[in-house]
Amino acid sequence: MVSFDYKLAVTTLHELRKSGERKSDLVVSLGENLIQQGYTGKLGDEVWAVYEQIFIAALDLGNVLLADKCLDNLDKRFPESPRVKILKGMKLEAEDNLDAALAMYENILQDDDANVAAIKRRIAVYKAKGQDQQAIEALTRYLDAFYSDAESWLELSALYLSFHLYQQAGFCLEELILLQPQNHFYHLKYAEILYTSDNITVALKEFCRVVELCEDNVRALCGIKLCTSRLLNLPINAITSSSASTNSSFSLDMKTISDLNDLAIERLSIIYSKNQRGGNRANEIKNVISDWLKQS
Amino acid sequence: MAQPLASTLVESQALYLDPEIRDWVLIPIMVVMVLVGVFRDQVTVLIGGGTGKKPGLKAIRESKALTRGVTLRNYGNHIQNNSFFVRKTFLSEAYKRGDYLKNPAAANHAVNPMTDPAGMEMMMEGMKKNFAMIIPQTIIMGWINFFFSGFVLIKLPFPLTLRFKSMLQRGVETPDMDVTWVSSLSWYFLNLFGLRSIFTLLLGEDNAADGMRDMAAMSQMGASPTGQPQDFHKLFLAESENLELTPHNWELDDIENRLLIKFGKRSPTVNNDDNDTIEMEDISSDFSDVKGKSKRKGINKKK
Repeated sequence: MVSFDYKLAVTTLHELRKSGERKSDLVVSLGENLIQQGYTGKLGDEVWAVYEQIFIAALDLGNVLLADKCLDNLDKRFPESPRVKILKGMKLEAEDNLDAALAMYENILQDDDANVAAIKRRIAVYKAKGQDQQAIEALTRYLDAFYSDAESWLELSALYLSFHLYQQAGFCLEELILLQPQNHFYHLKYAEILYTSDNITVALKEFCRVVELCEDNVRALCGIKLCTSRLLNLPINAITSSSASTNSSFSLDMKTISDLNDLAIERLSIIYSKNQRGGNRANEIKNVISDWLKQS
Repeated sequence: MAQPLASTLVESQALYLDPEIRDWVLIPIMVVMVLVGVFRDQVTVLIGGGTGKKPGLKAIRESKALTRGVTLRNYGNHIQNNSFFVRKTFLSEAYKRGDYLKNPAAANHAVNPMTDPAGMEMMMEGMKKNFAMIIPQTIIMGWINFFFSGFVLIKLPFPLTLRFKSMLQRGVETPDMDVTWVSSLSWYFLNLFGLRSIFTLLLGEDNAADGMRDMAAMSQMGASPTGQPQDFHKLFLAESENLELTPHNWELDDIENRLLIKFGKRSPTVNNDDNDTIEMEDISSDFSDVKGKSKRKGINKKK
């Protein structure tokens, strides 16, 4: 057996905690070694954070024994802590005892209605119970106060999308764009939502923005291609009338559209001809793409 | 003439300091300052660190609501016109009505910290902290003044202008002494302001030992006794006004052209010239069928 590197394990765990990555299998294997070989005493005050981290990872993997061990230690040290209560709630969730978990979170929120972790766990329970509408309601209330939480906006948009509420989902993505205007992923998602809700002209602009922010983004180039071919295939008066009715500045001239179309085709064929890895599969994909590009 | 005079001046000021001063004044003052800082950190933890009451959801909402307007003002250009205007109207209305206030009914009269229990607690908190900070500092200053007043402790290894005299030679009223000599009281002040990094080293990032902080606290005391809570309603009204004044230019208005230019499909200069000549010459609208609708719109506006 390879000797266990205590220092490396601790720094790895620390970095994972900081970055928020959820590599549960790694955390559990490191944590098991730490606990079994009695290194926990060496950690000082950091040990509690490590216990929490290992506990959550253990729940992810369904390692109940390890999770119990961590929770016992934490519970002994911090008997009244809401943070430990949340961990208990998570354990209840893992055991599929959702109502008890919900009661646990409600209990925390009665004492401290601004406990972010409890609010979020409660939303997760709603989702797990399939009460998506309640989850949406709770999320909107949470975001009303904690406006700048990007992940929650993303979650809310995903919930709306599951109900096919594209306008609301689009609103969430707009908020995300406001919060992080340079993140091309949000623009991309927004563009796709716009395309799905048949707002082709704006979607085209957003796809263009993605390509501007992140060169050769295949998803965005495909999006541009889809938008332009839709617009080019529309009868001329349909475009003018639609843009006149919305009274917007989104109007585009045909030349720009066809230029963009050509650009997307060019970039996509370059990208796919460059990608030689994967042998047969790559060729297959290339053929599919070139067929698709030729179609319109 | 000036050269020898200056050199004699410097020579005449080559004071010889007793090493006892170093051992019994300079170092003790510093050690005492460090120890008092550590002690004060512990005391602050003891009297108020653990039991700080967390703000409720409404209070957080109130304090975060402003950032929403600021974000919209700063990055509003990244979303479409109508999305921007919907948000702008909504936020500025909500700010005006005081929807985001912790207590919407109290929007119109000034907040009195005495009536608000949370404000009362905050005042108490501030008082405690101030006591923990000010009392030891006063005692040390008295101690230095009583025992070491008029001591010259060190000579700085670099020359300074006369301006620094009042800063470095406090308590030593000699107009002719070179500025580089530092008196005991000034050594105290240098320590007070300069030990921050040492405290960070000793006590970690978030410590209460720092001397700068009670200076800040003292200067605040003059403005508003023990940190009066901000009047959010006023801030909201100001933000609402700011929002209403914010123009909107959609970042993506010209995105297709930018993209085509970026990939070299269109040359930037020609296009711009095109644009300008059209607007200046005001060519009739049937020509503009070939050109973009946005240009047509510009022309229409001109007409």
